[in-house]
Parts: sequence; C-alpha cells; structure tokens
Amino acid sequence: MSADTDAAKHDEHRPNVALYVKVFAALMVLTLVTVAISKIHLPPAQAVALGLFVALIKAGLVGALFMHLWGENKLIHKALWITVGFAVVLILPIIDFVLISGRSTSPMAVADQHPAGHDTDKDKAGEAAEPMKAGH
Amino acid sequence: MSHDPHGSAEHHPLTFWERYVFSVDHKVIGLQYLITSFIFLLVGFALMGLMRWQLAWPGTPIPFFGGLFPADLAPNGVMSGEFYNSLGAMHGTIMVFLGVVPLAVGAYGNYVLPLQIGAPDMAFPRMNMMSYWTYLPGGILMLASFLMPGGAAQSGWTSYPPLSIINPGQTVWLLSMVILITSSLLGAINFLVTTINMRAPGMSLWRMPVFVWAQFVTSVLLLLAFPPLEAASILQLMDRVFHTSFYMPKDLVILGQAYAGSGGGQPLLWQHLFWFLAHPEVYVLVLPPMGIVAEIIANNTRKPLHGYKTLVLSMVAIGVMSFMVWAHHMFISGMSASLSNFFLVTTMIISVPSVAILTCLIFSLKGGAIRYNVPMAFALAFLPLFGIGGLTGLPLGLTVTDIYLHDTYYVIGHFHFVVVTGSIIALMGGTYYWFPKWYGRKMNDKLGWIHFWGSVITMCGIFGPMLFMGMGGASRRLYDPTAQLHNLPVQGWNVVATYSAYLLAAFQLPFIYNFFNSMWRGEKTPENPWQATTLEWACPSPPPHGNFEKTPTVYRGPYEYSVPGRKDDFWMQSDKN
Amino acid sequence: MSQAQNPAAIMNNQDTHSGVTNAKLGVWLFLASEIMLFATLFTSYIVLRMASTSWPWGWDVLNVPLATLNTVILISSSVTIVMAYAKAYDKDKGGFQKWMAATILLSLGFLVVKGFEYGHEFGLGIGPHTSVFYAIYFTMTGLHGIHILGGIAVNAGLLYMSTVDGHWRNPLFLGRVEGAGLYWHFVDIVWIFLFPALYLL
Repeated sequence: MSADTDAAKHDEHRPNVALYVKVFAALMVLTLVTVAISKIHLPPAQAVALGLFVALIKAGLVGALFMHLWGENKLIHKALWITVGFAVVLILPIIDFVLISGRSTSPMAVADQHPAGHDTDKDKAGEAAEPMKAGH
Repeated sequence: MSHDPHGSAEHHPLTFWERYVFSVDHKVIGLQYLITSFIFLLVGFALMGLMRWQLAWPGTPIPFFGGLFPADLAPNGVMSGEFYNSLGAMHGTIMVFLGVVPLAVGAYGNYVLPLQIGAPDMAFPRMNMMSYWTYLPGGILMLASFLMPGGAAQSGWTSYPPLSIINPGQTVWLLSMVILITSSLLGAINFLVTTINMRAPGMSLWRMPVFVWAQFVTSVLLLLAFPPLEAASILQLMDRVFHTSFYMPKDLVILGQAYAGSGGGQPLLWQHLFWFLAHPEVYVLVLPPMGIVAEIIANNTRKPLHGYKTLVLSMVAIGVMSFMVWAHHMFISGMSASLSNFFLVTTMIISVPSVAILTCLIFSLKGGAIRYNVPMAFALAFLPLFGIGGLTGLPLGLTVTDIYLHDTYYVIGHFHFVVVTGSIIALMGGTYYWFPKWYGRKMNDKLGWIHFWGSVITMCGIFGPMLFMGMGGASRRLYDPTAQLHNLPVQGWNVVATYSAYLLAAFQLPFIYNFFNSMWRGEKTPENPWQATTLEWACPSPPPHGNFEKTPTVYRGPYEYSVPGRKDDFWMQSDKN
Repeated sequence: MSQAQNPAAIMNNQDTHSGVTNAKLGVWLFLASEIMLFATLFTSYIVLRMASTSWPWGWDVLNVPLATLNTVILISSSVTIVMAYAKAYDKDKGGFQKWMAATILLSLGFLVVKGFEYGHEFGLGIGPHTSVFYAIYFTMTGLHGIHILGGIAVNAGLLYMSTVDGHWRNPLFLGRVEGAGLYWHFVDIVWIFLFPALYLL
C-alpha cells in the first residue's frame, strides 16, 4: 500500500497546525487558571471540584486534538470506554474508606480520630469495634 | 491478498538460536511456555509436597530430603515455621503466576489462537518473544529468592501488609512480580491485537471458536486488572525499600518495638488493590480451560456445541462482572456493611454466567455419539469437578457463612477444586488434544488413561478432605495443625490428603514419560486426526513458519459437526463445500 | 532485516479487520493498561488522603512556581511532538528532526527542573519516608519521571531512525511517530492531573 493512497484516505486526518497552536494557547491559559484558583482559598470541596474540572478540560483537549481521538476509529473509542468503565470500579475502595472512618487498629489512633465531644454515634461504634478487634 | 505468508524458511535458514531459543514464531514460543510452565508446576507441586509432610506428621523429620536443607530452615530435618511460610507463599505464587496462567495463556493461547483464527503469526512477533523472555527471568528470580538471605517471601501469595513489609524475602517477590506483570501485559496486548486485526477473511466474531473467545476475554482481564497490582506492588516496594508508609498504620508496634516509619498508611488499601487483580485472575485461570473443554467436547460429541452464543456471552459477562466482586475475599477484613452487601450481590450474580457455561457444556453431551478418548475423559471430568469447585464457592460468597469458613481449610479446598480439578485437568486434556498438532504424533493412550484416572482420583483425595476439615473448623493458617485441640478430630484427613498428594506425584510420571517419549516415538498422525472443524487442523502438523500455505477463507461457524446430507460428519470452517 | 522474515509485518498496514493498524491499536491498548496503573495510584492517593488526619497544602511544602514551569514545559513538548508528527506527515525530514529535537530538549528540561525540586527536598532531609504525603508525592512524580525517561528514549530512537534513509522511507515510520506521540501526550495528561493533585489542592 503506497503512501499516496494512505494520505488520500486520511485526508481529514491531516495534521492541522493552526489548531495545534490554538490548543497550546488554551492549555497555557488553563494552567494559569488552575494555579490562580488554588491561590484564592476556596473551601476544599469546591477547590477540588474546580481543580479537577479544569484538569479534565485540559486532558480532554490533549486527548481529543493532540491524540486525534476526535474522529478516531470507533474501535479505539470502545477500548477506551471499556477501560474507563473498569477504572471507575476503583471508586469502590474509596467509598469503603468513606463509609468507615478510623480504620487504624491501634487504640491511640482510634482515640486520635474520635476525640471527646465528637459525634457520639461514631464514638460508640469505635468503642464497640475495639473488643472485636482485640479478639482477633 | 496481503495475507500471503512469506515463510522465512525459504528465504534464509534460521540458526539454532533463532529457531529454538530466541524464536519469534508463535508456535515455538508457545512450546517454550508449555515446557517452562509445566516445570514450574512441578516445582510448585514439590514445595507443596514438603508442606504436606509437615501437615500430616507435624514435628517429624522430612524423610530423604530433610537433611538437604540448611539448619536454619529445617533443624534436624524438621521444618521450621518460617520455612513453612516461605513454602506456602511460594507454592501459591508459583502455581498461579508461573504455572497455570503461563500454561493456559502463554502456551495454549500462543500456539492455538493464531492457528484457530487463520493468522500467519501473532501481531507483534518480537514482542511475543520478549514476553517469554521476561517471564522466564521473572520466574527464575522468584525461585532464586529461596537463596537470598532471610529466605523467600513468607507472607502468602496475597502478601498482606503489615506482615509482608516486616518479613524478609518480600522485596525479591515484589520485583519478580513487577517483571511477571510486564510479561503478561506484553502478551495480553499481543493477543488482543491479533484477535482483532489478524483474523482470516470470513472469520467474523461469531465464527471464532470458544477457545479464541476465552483467550480474548482473558486478555482483556490481564490487560486491565494487572496494572493495579503493578501499582500496588510498587507502593509495597516503596514501603520496603524506601521505608514509606503506604500500608503501615500509625503507632504500629512490632515485637514490642514501635515501627520506625512515619505510619499513617492503610493496610486495607493493599487488600483492595490486590484482590482487584486477583479476582479477575481467578477467571484468567478458569476461562481458557473452559475454552479447551468446549473445543474437546464439541469435537468428541460430534455435534455443535449447545448454545455457542450463550457460552460466549457468558464468558464476556464473567469478564465484566469479575471486576466487581473482589471484596468477597475481604468480608472478614473489615468493610462497611453496605459495601459487603453490594459485593455479596455481585458475587451471587457472577455465579449465573458460570453456571450457564457449565450447563451449556453438559447439554452439549446430550444426544451425541460420544468418543471416549483421553482428552474427552479430561473434559468430562472437568464438568463435575469444576462444578464442585464452583458450588463450594457459594457459601464463601455469602457473608454469614463466610465468617465461619473464611479462615478454614474449606477455602483452600474450594479454590483447589476450581483450579486443580478444574483448570489443570482441562489443561492436561488440552495437551493430549493438541499434541498431534505440536509434533505430528499421538500420545500413548494406555499411559494417558493411567494418568487420567490416577490424577482425578488422587486430586479428589487431596481436596475433598480439605472441605471436610474446613467444615470441622480447622484453621488454614497453622504450620502445626495439632497446636489447636479442635483440629485433632479431623487431623486424620490431613494424612489422607498427604498420601493422596504423593500418589498424585507418582501418577504424573507416566505423563512426563508419555510426553517426551511420544515426541519422538509416538504413533504418527494425519493432518486432522480428530476430524475437527477448526482452523488449527487445516494446516500441516506441526505447521511451518507462517502456518498456512494459503490463507484460509472461513465459510461457517466453528462447530459444524454431523451436518445432515454430508458424507463426513464434520465440516471444516475453511472448506467451501 | 527481521521485518522481512516476519510474516506478520505484511499485515502491518491499513488493511486490517478493524481499520486500525496493529501498531496503533497496540499503543492504545498499552495506554489502556497505563490508564489503569495511574488510576490505581490516584485511587491510593485519594484513599490515603481521606483516611489521614492531616494533609499539607502544596503551596506550603512544595515549590509551586517550579512545578508550574514544568507544566508549561511539558505542555510545550506535547505541542512540539505533534508538530513533529505533522512534519513527518508532510515528509519534511528537516522539520521533523527540528521539532523532535525540541521535544527531547524540553523533556530533558522537565527532568532537570524536577531534579532541582528533588535536590532541594533531599537537602532539607525530606524523603519518601517523611510522611504519607511525601511518600505519594515521590512515588507518583518518580514513576511519572520514569515514564518521561522512557519517552525520551523512544523519541531519541525515532530521531536517530529519521537519519537512516531506509527507516525514514519506511511506510511504517509515520505510524511509529504517531505511536510515540500518543504515548507522550498520555504522559502529559498524567502530569495535568498530578500537578493540581499534589501541588495545588
């Protein structure tokens, strides 16, 4: 298969240099935006959400335009969606850690994470868990 | 047609090294994998043989070999606790990562998959060679860890921290795991690209043999499940080498001394990441053997598989679900109740496609004119024995029963029924089935039958007692089972299991002899000795470099047996009429 | 040439079942496994951070201006490699070599800046063992650095190959450049997430 027919078949895939320059400018601006956002002290949840959002836009730009995912063969899209699906499953351990706080087994750590005056329900749960752990 | 293979043999003769050692031919690499992984299986088996002595007759010197070990491992020939732990950890690691997976995927997948889809070779032959040549050093490094100061890893094949971070020997284990994972990834990418891109004309997805589908799903699992373990191993390596505290909790006290690291890590994180790999890994161990069994059954019942699409879709469903069930290994590690309910439900769901596969295979037998030959015997034995393995898993997937059974021998019995009487039985059957393909000769039937009956009965003699012991409450973590009084009533089963294990070893001798003897002196076979329909039998045995003289064109599905109105009872996929 | 004796090399063109070349599909599948690798590390990061009682703010403990410079460098290198690909597409050998050399220089620059950061931290007696934060910081940036090294090796290899006429005229060469580019952009994307995760949030 000669290079000519290749080029003809993929003419719409012809590298678009003007577009690359625009993407580059956008990425630079977004980098400054993330740094600026982190300098104004937002509450943690909002800071993380905003930081993640900007990072996703940047990654999307690189993926779609530099890696030519925009208009790429469907097979590669499928492969990536499957991968993303399985990567999302990794959120389950995170949920586990959210649902159970105070994972450390040592009494000192438990005391650290459940100081007096803290949520009483959690305190009781912590105390109830102690004898069980000692039994192991 | 661009598929025309240009076998190199015509162009310039290959040297011995190019042909047999650093070969890029998928068939040579497959056989390299086959021999190497069989050797590793034997090594892992030998380690278990030592452990079984200790379990049956704790505290007595090991006969014959006891004196060979250095005094710190086995003083006066009596196994020490540390040595027992090393053997246990290495048995599991070697069997899973160096034995069964390379055999199922590296050996059979490499040899048979390109042939069954009508490809001249793998998509990336040199990467294929690299895959083997990273697997072998990784395996040797793993074995060499016995010679390191402090001995081999002692924390089980699961390597739970904080024990794994404190115990000696673990660093080498982690390093060789990273190497082995790299090898697996290279293989998985190769298999996927080959299956997607290199199928012969007409070989649509729904015409691929079940074995190819099984390898395809397996490769997806390897590709996406192994990297998390690689990452987790790197973190554990950091913990050991650079004294980080990814998995080391705060205020840890070891033997009365406070742990020197900063602490603040999470031991349970490792368990999540490890089982995120290791549960899909179980299906990596099981799916290719299921594919082999499907091939053998279709061929020897002389009729199409019952529910080919159901089989394939069940395999895909297993592949997807296997990523969402891992934490059923952790029910007693401590998990929030809602999450353990989630995993309980997913575990019950994944048993449905597994049962569907088994049901399809059993229904395939109905109404068939069954040929009872040695490969078929192994395939038939797989059905009930794998069934036992699967069914004994259900109580472990339910949190309530798991709490009682989890730390007992029941778990070991269950797992080994799945992997030994399931996977390994099927893989052995595969050897008898494809041997004529590899060497153009047949393995001896009489020795094959001795090997079959001896292996099946003794395997049940090892793992059956484990189920009984487990239900009796015997802990699976003890190096001296008599240390707990409640184990004593079931200790007799340990003796039965040990005798069975040694008999199983004896029954492998006919197999080994048969394999090597038949390579040179076996009965010569025609090109398609089993009158099979799949493409691997449409080329000479053994196939030349480049496989097919002319790229086959595929006209029909993989299991067209006993088609009415035809003279022959089989219709090769590549035969137009 | 081993290409000639390898029957699969003939398959290495556009004429495949899926319409994607073997090489490109292989690179994407490799990147899929890399996605899982880094997803796991980010998961570990989130778990460790949420389970810990205190977590430092990047501005207080790390050098954010230097890291911002590094971000700029890495994004620039992503642009230069895509320019190199454009030049290779147009069969402009000189242009390809110029942009590829720029990519390699920028990536070396990234490593030098990273080295300054590490050196400063080690000078203060800070290492991976200091705390869980530093453990994850050194592990993730270190692993990313190893990926950069791998990318430099591949890019330098391609730069060398472009000087050999047989390689430059090989119809597979453009595919190799594209594959190297895909990998390099992936490394860039990883950093795009690492930078806010470790330094800013």
